[in-house]
Amino acid sequence: MGGHCLWDGTLSPNDFIASADDLTKKWMAINPNLPQWTWIPCQRMDVSCNTQAEGYLALENMYQLSASEVNAPTDDENYSAEEAPFDNATLIQSYNDDMHIYDFHIVYSFSYQVPVLYFRGYRCDGHPLHLCDIEKDLPPYSSKIRNESKWTFMTQEEHPYLCCPWYTLHPCGTSDWMKLLLGGDLPSKNPDMLHYLSAWLSVVGQTVGLRIPLELHDKSI
Amino acid sequence: MAAESPTSDRKVVVHLRATGDAPILKQAKFKISGNDKFSKVIEFLRRQLHRDTLFVYVNSAFSPNPDELVIDLYNNFGFDGKLVVNYASSMAWG
Repeated sequence: MGGHCLWDGTLSPNDFIASADDLTKKWMAINPNLPQWTWIPCQRMDVSCNTQAEGYLALENMYQLSASEVNAPTDDENYSAEEAPFDNATLIQSYNDDMHIYDFHIVYSFSYQVPVLYFRGYRCDGHPLHLCDIEKDLPPYSSKIRNESKWTFMTQEEHPYLCCPWYTLHPCGTSDWMKLLLGGDLPSKNPDMLHYLSAWLSVVGQTVGLRIPLELHDKSI
Repeated sequence: MAAESPTSDRKVVVHLRATGDAPILKQAKFKISGNDKFSKVIEFLRRQLHRDTLFVYVNSAFSPNPDELVIDLYNNFGFDGKLVVNYASSMAWG
């Protein structure tokens, strides 16, 4: 663990917790009107039956119009799906089948030592979205990768804490691109681990259509 | 177009910097309209490098959404009169 070791793009469990806290606070400062990232504490028994304090980050009830709806001409030309205020009362009135709701969880992977995104989508009536429905909501770029690397990119797996099937992005390439992203030209320098999750989310958010505001990366906030 | 303010059609100098094993471009600096989306920068790189998948990021801090405007990126993360964009030639998910 010498200081001269090259950083390999991974994150320790403690850095995950610190970075999660940083992301939560910044998100709240920037997006006070959007659903908030919340830390969900969990306890898990380790091999020697000690309870380990763990947890994950959750961002729930993100509304998203399906891509077909966004592309359709609307009466209000200024309407933007991304900037629309999240007014629950209005949403109930304008209920339609095309309104999709997404829950995103960021879970620490102890085997890969990187964060992993788990997500699920459902309709207003609670009906879960299948991958073919979700695919229509994904940015075109993401669908392309999915077609090229079907089983290594986006799959359905058991949520590590909720123990039911959620969609997930496969983590085994994460440390490689995080090394580039935070390490840059000087892979030996100490990267800013507090910003690990916001940097990671800028990449992962794009693949699932979760828009990340630029201010999140402003280190002065 | 005449109604637009002078700041909205401002040109931004983009400096493309290769990282990892990405090839270095002959023309690493170019001017682009601030009104263009970041996807235009990505497209330019794809054409130059003949690659479909690239990893493009800014300031060793984040990977911009292709829909972001170049001027917004420049205003937040530009320095010395230019926006430095790093690129690596591959991005593996799994």
